[in-house]
Amino acid sequence: MKAGPSPAWILLRVCVGAVYLFMLGPILITATVSFNASNRSVFPPQGFSLRWWARALSWEWLDPLLFSLKLATLAGLAATLLALPLAFALVRHRFRGRDILVALTLGPLLLPALVTGVGLLQLFQYAGLRDLIGLPALIVGHVVICLPFAVRTIAISLQGMPPNLENAAASLGAPPWRTQANVVLPLVKNGIVAGAVFAFIHSFTDVNLSLFLVRPGEIPINIKILGFLEFGFAPTLAAVSVLTIIIPLVVVAAVQRMTGLGDFLYAERGHG
Amino acid sequence: MGDPALSLVAVEKRYGDTAAVAGLTLDVAEGEFVTLLGPSGCGKTTTLGLIAGFLPLSAGDIRLKGRSVIGLPPFRRDIGVVFQDYALFPHMTAEENVAFGLKMRKVAKAETASRVAAALDLVKLRGLGARRPHELSGGQRQRVALARALVIRPQILLLDEPLSNLDLKLREEMRVEIAELQRALAITTVFVTHDQSEALVMSDRIAVMNAGRVEQVGRSTEIYERPASRFVAEFIGRMNLFPARIRAGAAGLRVVTARGVTLALALPGGIVEPVAVHIAVRPERACVLRKAPAADWLAERGRIEQVLYLGAAHEIRLALEDGLRATVEVTNTGAPLGLEPGMTVWFAAPPEACLVLPAHQ
Repeated sequence: MKAGPSPAWILLRVCVGAVYLFMLGPILITATVSFNASNRSVFPPQGFSLRWWARALSWEWLDPLLFSLKLATLAGLAATLLALPLAFALVRHRFRGRDILVALTLGPLLLPALVTGVGLLQLFQYAGLRDLIGLPALIVGHVVICLPFAVRTIAISLQGMPPNLENAAASLGAPPWRTQANVVLPLVKNGIVAGAVFAFIHSFTDVNLSLFLVRPGEIPINIKILGFLEFGFAPTLAAVSVLTIIIPLVVVAAVQRMTGLGDFLYAERGHG
Repeated sequence: MGDPALSLVAVEKRYGDTAAVAGLTLDVAEGEFVTLLGPSGCGKTTTLGLIAGFLPLSAGDIRLKGRSVIGLPPFRRDIGVVFQDYALFPHMTAEENVAFGLKMRKVAKAETASRVAAALDLVKLRGLGARRPHELSGGQRQRVALARALVIRPQILLLDEPLSNLDLKLREEMRVEIAELQRALAITTVFVTHDQSEALVMSDRIAVMNAGRVEQVGRSTEIYERPASRFVAEFIGRMNLFPARIRAGAAGLRVVTARGVTLALALPGGIVEPVAVHIAVRPERACVLRKAPAADWLAERGRIEQVLYLGAAHEIRLALEDGLRATVEVTNTGAPLGLEPGMTVWFAAPPEACLVLPAHQ
């Protein structure tokens, strides 16, 4: 007699199924609604129309979308460039104040971005930097909240490096900068790219912090959507939302194609 | 003869209050193969790191051909290193790994190619140059690491337990192969291991290390046949030890066993009366007798506890009458052994098989 799947196994399947349902369900519904012919957002959709997409692709929405892309690219790059030396220092060196630096770097992960946003707004106002509200302030804020992601991913790839590689390079006659360029960098490259991607996406999807640092004409897409929602959920928003989902996906896919993030560099370990 | 290829002069490495290397002095001659042998934590790998320049010295001096290398960074020392975990660059092919040192030295492309090919031939890896480290077996990675260290023709080759990650059969092959390669290239080599048989087979000289110091330096036979201390005696091979004392008599200094038997044994220099010593006998130099041996032999009565069959030999474990234990190894000649657990026998060793070691260092 063949025993059926155990109750635990069934429970696990149900849980996984529920996760997928609640994760993908809203996206699917939003996507379908964007092709609705009706004036109201109803599901299942009534008829088929592209007019919401025509509106979504107008400058009213493309402007904030491009602004978000610009912001996420700049903030992601800046966070990665900052994270690189930070991760090296934190992984390779034991120095006074290291714990404080760790706390400062990773702190924004624990702090609600809303609080960071309010704090930054006040800081800019009291410091007489009100003029910087808008893109410059947004970049600063986004670098702060993206930094932990970049630092963590780069630190992990540094820690994963076999211990004697740098000594080996040195004994073969490589001065420190060549060791970094020819040995360390190629091996942590994927960590750096992954860190940059995480930072980009985190910036692109942020609402909480951006809320306080925008000014007319310099508004990320999510804030624009939030503002629009006050007047109810129009099918246009459904189309815009689909755009904001697709863009990060395309970025990740493109980066993965270009760098082979899936490449498992350390297949060598494990053989022993 | 000029200066030795490598001199370690009272080398010290301290971490806070603890000394990893505590005053190590050793000369290695040009073309010599010297092994640093000791248990883990004895400071042998730290010593290698000091020679290569990965770690700064706390005190003392390290000289290559008489010139101090203190303050010289590792990339200017011209020392080849093979690491225990090989430390191959995982993102480069075997060829690129081997070529790395030549690239750093700005050797011309054509010469690099021919030297890399020759180095891979030398370690029997012809045709595998295009593979990445993870596509190679443990033994092959080991060979790439060796080729990479040799191709730069370093003044000194350092080997840090390079065989310990290989399985037994391969390890025994590589022992002989590395030793032959070293002799063929006449490259000055310092080899670190905790494996005594590796050390005995491969080395011109062995430096036995304990707690950051050298206990004894000598050729394999000297270290094995005439260990200078109890530590060396017990670390290299096995040793039966019997407490004894030195007494002065009419015929000079004599060794008196715990049972009061006086033996005329060769004494190491510097021994004075009265002093506690150990009589040391290798298991394969002793024998098991059913009746008392000649009077000038070391003889202890006891009972056979176990007889172990090792294939090439039998190992007989004895519980002696004074509470000590002893081991005798008898070569398997094919003839019946005739010894069973429970038999009362004599542990016996001729005077020439007995060593006298100071009991306290």
